[in-house]
Amino acid sequence: MTAPAAQTGTGKRPVSPADGAAPAEPVVSFTDVAKSFGPVRAVSDLSLSLHPGETVALLGPNGAGKSTALDLLLGLKNPDHGTVRLFGQTPTQAIAAGRVGAMLQSGGLMEEVTVRELVGLACDLHPRRYPVADVMAAAGITDIRDRKVNKLSGGQEQRVRFALATAGANDLIVLDEPTTGMDVSARQAFWATMRAQVDEGKAVLFATHYLEEADAIADRVLVLHQGRLIADGTAAEIKARAGARRITFDLDGTVDSDLLGTLPHLVGLDVTGPTVRIRSDDADATMHAVYGLGLYPRNLEVSGLGLEQAFLAITDAATAEEAGNR
Amino acid sequence: MKTLVKLEITRTLRNRKFMFFSVMYPAMLFLGVSLGYKKGATAGDTGLSALAYLMTAMAAFGAMTAVLMGNAERIAREREKGWVRQLRLTALPGRGYVAAKIASAATVSLPSILIVLVLGATVKNVRLDAWQWVGIGVATWAGSLVFAALGVAIGYLATADAARPISMIFYFGLAILGGLWVPLYNFPHWLQTLAGYLPAGPYANLGRSIELGHAPHAKDVTVLLVYLLLFAGAAAWLYRKDTRKA
Repeated sequence: MTAPAAQTGTGKRPVSPADGAAPAEPVVSFTDVAKSFGPVRAVSDLSLSLHPGETVALLGPNGAGKSTALDLLLGLKNPDHGTVRLFGQTPTQAIAAGRVGAMLQSGGLMEEVTVRELVGLACDLHPRRYPVADVMAAAGITDIRDRKVNKLSGGQEQRVRFALATAGANDLIVLDEPTTGMDVSARQAFWATMRAQVDEGKAVLFATHYLEEADAIADRVLVLHQGRLIADGTAAEIKARAGARRITFDLDGTVDSDLLGTLPHLVGLDVTGPTVRIRSDDADATMHAVYGLGLYPRNLEVSGLGLEQAFLAITDAATAEEAGNR
Repeated sequence: MKTLVKLEITRTLRNRKFMFFSVMYPAMLFLGVSLGYKKGATAGDTGLSALAYLMTAMAAFGAMTAVLMGNAERIAREREKGWVRQLRLTALPGRGYVAAKIASAATVSLPSILIVLVLGATVKNVRLDAWQWVGIGVATWAGSLVFAALGVAIGYLATADAARPISMIFYFGLAILGGLWVPLYNFPHWLQTLAGYLPAGPYANLGRSIELGHAPHAKDVTVLLVYLLLFAGAAAWLYRKDTRKA
């Protein structure tokens, strides 16, 4: 695969209005947005705003409302309640003004045309278009430009979609599961390309289920669960909130779960046979107390919580809370 | 938008199978159906020979086939695959999409019309003045845009599976009620009147008027224009409003 070429110099680009001295207007603002499909509340009470230059990951288990939220953001669906604004405009206006580029998970491609023809179309339709050759170079698809769109591999298709989303000088790029179908090296190349966009001061919002991507790339993480925003912060903050450490050890004899439940700084507790798994926001204090109870843990392991586990912890807690409210 | 129109036409031309059947079908049908008519037969009280009547009817029918049948289904499938969602994230206005689809449909209908006319002139010995041949060709082609717009609207309304039967119903219904199959002069009077306000009847009339040496009737042209605006407007509106899960 060709290494993604560096984007053309910023001198060519129109300066986005968000770069001005005036207080930056939010790139995206959702105010009390709700959307249901029949009895299913896909999104409820969603309020958030994104700012210029932010790289934001949207996380959530399947069915959490990510795709619906992105559809609402792009004006592909209308909210039942609340308002969605992009740069102070309606999504349709912002798209017509060429301020938003998007790569949809479900975005099919036109068939029976070549990659170059399709990217040429996207450039032609963009009010603030870039030259076709630059767009293809940036997306790393110059070498497949004469291929028919319906003869591409999954990863190549994603790159073409990415080219469609970056055909002009957008101020916001929205990506829904952009690296689905890519192998590890293609994924790394993709994010390198994406960084070039971020470095130009564009806001990027992406939904993903690869949590390491969110951890490595996003400077802000939004967690959606059952249509609600349950966490909004940096990856580090989310990990801290979920309980920063995971402690695992085995105990001899009968394990007294109730006793273990009294440990300080406990965030989560799971006992399976002799094995005890604890999540703690202060592992030192928790372990001190374990010894204080006169227990003798064997095979002790203390590890940091990845975003993945943090994410599971947060969504599990939300599910439990939800169940408790019923 | 020009790029989109160009690309849609290119794609259609590349789809050889679709082109071949859309173009050959009306020609075969014309040759087949015309076997049932004797050479000197006249078409009721229309003042035309049965073959001349049939030729314009089949040219019109062929154009309808070309623009209505494949197109609606292709659009519906494109919608289901999500290409239309992606296209809606561009600055393209709804009318641009509809215009491109109608243009690509018209690319298919032109050769299908021409082949029927050429067969009429050569194999079936229909004799007309040069201006009449040109007039019939142009009028039949222009009129096919009405059905192209209907095809786009159906493609927007229906799922890919439903688009074919739905366009079939419109296609046969309109063709029969427009007298493209059974000559209109065999219909009861009330049905003839109704046919005058449905799109296919006035459509076939365009060519027939020219065969008789007149310009098309203003009423027929008006009825067709109203349908064109109606169908194209509906298609553009559906393109923008399509908020269903694709």
